[in-house]
Order: sequence, then C-alpha cells, then structure tokens
Amino acid sequence: MEATSVVQLDQTKAKDECLNLSLRPLQVSDVDDFMVWASDEKVTRFCTWEPYTNKEDGLNYIKNTVVPHPWFRAICVDDRPVGAISVSANSGNDKCRGELGYVLASKYWGKGIVTRAVKMVVDTIFVEWPHLERLEALVDVENVGSQRVLEKAGFQREGVLRKYFILKGRSRDMVMFSLLSTDYQS
Amino acid sequence: MEVDLSKITLRPFKLEDADDFLLFAGDDQVTNYLRWQTLSSKQEALDHIKDVCIPHPWRRSICNDNCSIGFISIFPFSGEEDRFKANIGFGVAVKYWGHGIATKAVKMAVPQFFVDFPDVVRLEAFIDAQNLGSQRVVEKTGFQKEGMLRKYAYMKGKLRDMFIYSFLSTDLPANP
Repeated sequence: MEATSVVQLDQTKAKDECLNLSLRPLQVSDVDDFMVWASDEKVTRFCTWEPYTNKEDGLNYIKNTVVPHPWFRAICVDDRPVGAISVSANSGNDKCRGELGYVLASKYWGKGIVTRAVKMVVDTIFVEWPHLERLEALVDVENVGSQRVLEKAGFQREGVLRKYFILKGRSRDMVMFSLLSTDYQS
Repeated sequence: MEVDLSKITLRPFKLEDADDFLLFAGDDQVTNYLRWQTLSSKQEALDHIKDVCIPHPWRRSICNDNCSIGFISIFPFSGEEDRFKANIGFGVAVKYWGHGIATKAVKMAVPQFFVDFPDVVRLEAFIDAQNLGSQRVVEKTGFQKEGMLRKYAYMKGKLRDMFIYSFLSTDLPANP
C-alpha cells in the first residue's frame, strides 16, 4: 500500500514539473480565463484590488491596463491563461529599477508554476531592458507562499519595511526582495 | 568653533536667507547626496527659496541664532494610496558639521511633522550607503534601519546602494 502511494506521489510531482508552461501577452479574448482568477477572493487576498464581479470590468482592465502595460504576460498552462506576471517600469533616476508582480489561479497553487514563471521572466527581462539593474518585489509579511517563490527564484531578501503599504484600509509590513542583473549573470 | 545647541531652531525659509542659503546649497559637499543641483548664484538661491522652499509642504531652515545654516525637508507622498507616507531629507553647511546640529534638528522636526500631518503613518529616509554622517543622524534620532536596497536609484549619475530607515507615528514616545 505504502509503495503504491509513494509511486503516485512521484508521478504527480513529475506531472507538475512537466506542465507545459508558457508566457504570452494577455488579450481581450482571454477575458473568461482572466475572470477565473480575478474573481477569486483567495487570489486577491494580498492584491490591492477587490475580486472582479463582472466581465465588463475585466474587459476594461485588459484594454486599459494590460494592453498598454510596459511588460505584462499571461502565465499559460497548455496555452490557456491561468495567471499573470508583470514588471513595472520607472523613469529618470529610478529607471534602473522595475517591480515584479504576479497572480495565479488558486487551483494551480502548490505546483511550482509561479517560481518557474519568475525564472522565465528573469531570463528575459534583463536582456529586453538593458537599462534594468534591479528587479524588486514587495511581499506582505503574511504571504509566505509568495516569499518562498522569490527565494527559490534566487531573489535576495533585503528587509522588512514597516507599514509600507495600505492594503484594503490596513497598513501592512512588506518584505523587500531584489534580484540584480549582476546576480543573474553570476 | 563653539556651537550652543540651544540656539539651533527651525523656521520657514525667507527670501532674506538667500546669501546664507547659497553658502550651503552652493557647496558640492552638502549637495553630494541630494538630488538638488548645486546652486551657483544668489539669483538661483532666491529662485530656489521662492519656487521650492516657500511653497514646500514642510521645509524648514535650520538656524543658528536665527541665521540659516541648513535645511530639513519632509515630503508627504501624493495620491490616495501613498499619502500616509513621507520622505525626509536634510543638509547642514560644512563648517557646522560635527556638533550634533542635524541630529537636534531632526529630533525637533519629526514630532512636529506628525502633528502637522496627522495622516502620515510612516516617515522614511533613503540614505546612501556611503553617507555615514547622515546614517548616524537618523540612528541617533530613533529611525529604524530596515535594510539595504541594492542599486536602488541613480544619484548624480551614479547607481547607488541605499539604506532605508523608517520612523512610524507609533514610534513617537507617548505623551506624558
């Protein structure tokens, strides 16, 4: 009995690692897939926004925020969007710095998908943006899953910024992580 | 040089401070870690006082016997999401370094600022990793060092590591 369940666990793990993962732009035609994660309050718990309740808002978000965004990709399993990952850009004296953000449908949590997606972003962003020196991410102190993603992807934890952010009316401590282009090269 | 710290006060800037202002704002050593360009004429000093210092939400002249020898600026962020945060910066004329003047000024400024801006919860300071003097000032005034932000921003054309410090409204000693 035990031998069988161990084999099944390994098979599941192998299956997860074999998940056909890709990044591509998110389009208006992806709105139904978008609504799956965007309407889920488990997913939006640490997001500044409330769960989406209607498709019209989803369409507007994709048209007005996603399409013009400097770097926004859908995380796809078998070419179907199951989440999103983005890097923000700054200007002037701050253009050396970009902020990473990501979100994943809860059904796909626990399979290492976001860690893989972050690694894919890291592999390309410093090449696409040669002026980028620092990729940073801010994670709620209670969002342990997301902290683990960044640690596994090679980010360095720089410190806890107290009451750095107001999330849904409450001030939150945030952990600052960074990956430098020079970290990546070595 | 003797400095009597009881003569160190804070007040708003006036146009009449222009000559004194130029003495520190025209000095590369003072502006080295600031985003300001070093000023180079009395006219620039007058313009800066008129266009930046006076309309500023919270900028004070650090005075020795009512004569301007430096500045403290506390800038609340704008926007709905960020107005609970503010950023502090300061500078003192080189000849007055080493007497605890900036420390005294920051100690006076912080509680007053939280009274003037009751919505602000977090006051932060970004201090260049090599600026040991300013690190000591904020540490002595009760700011908490949170970490080092590597290659955080350009300052005068060079990419800089910066320490981030914070002082929360809840860090203020309770009123007796």
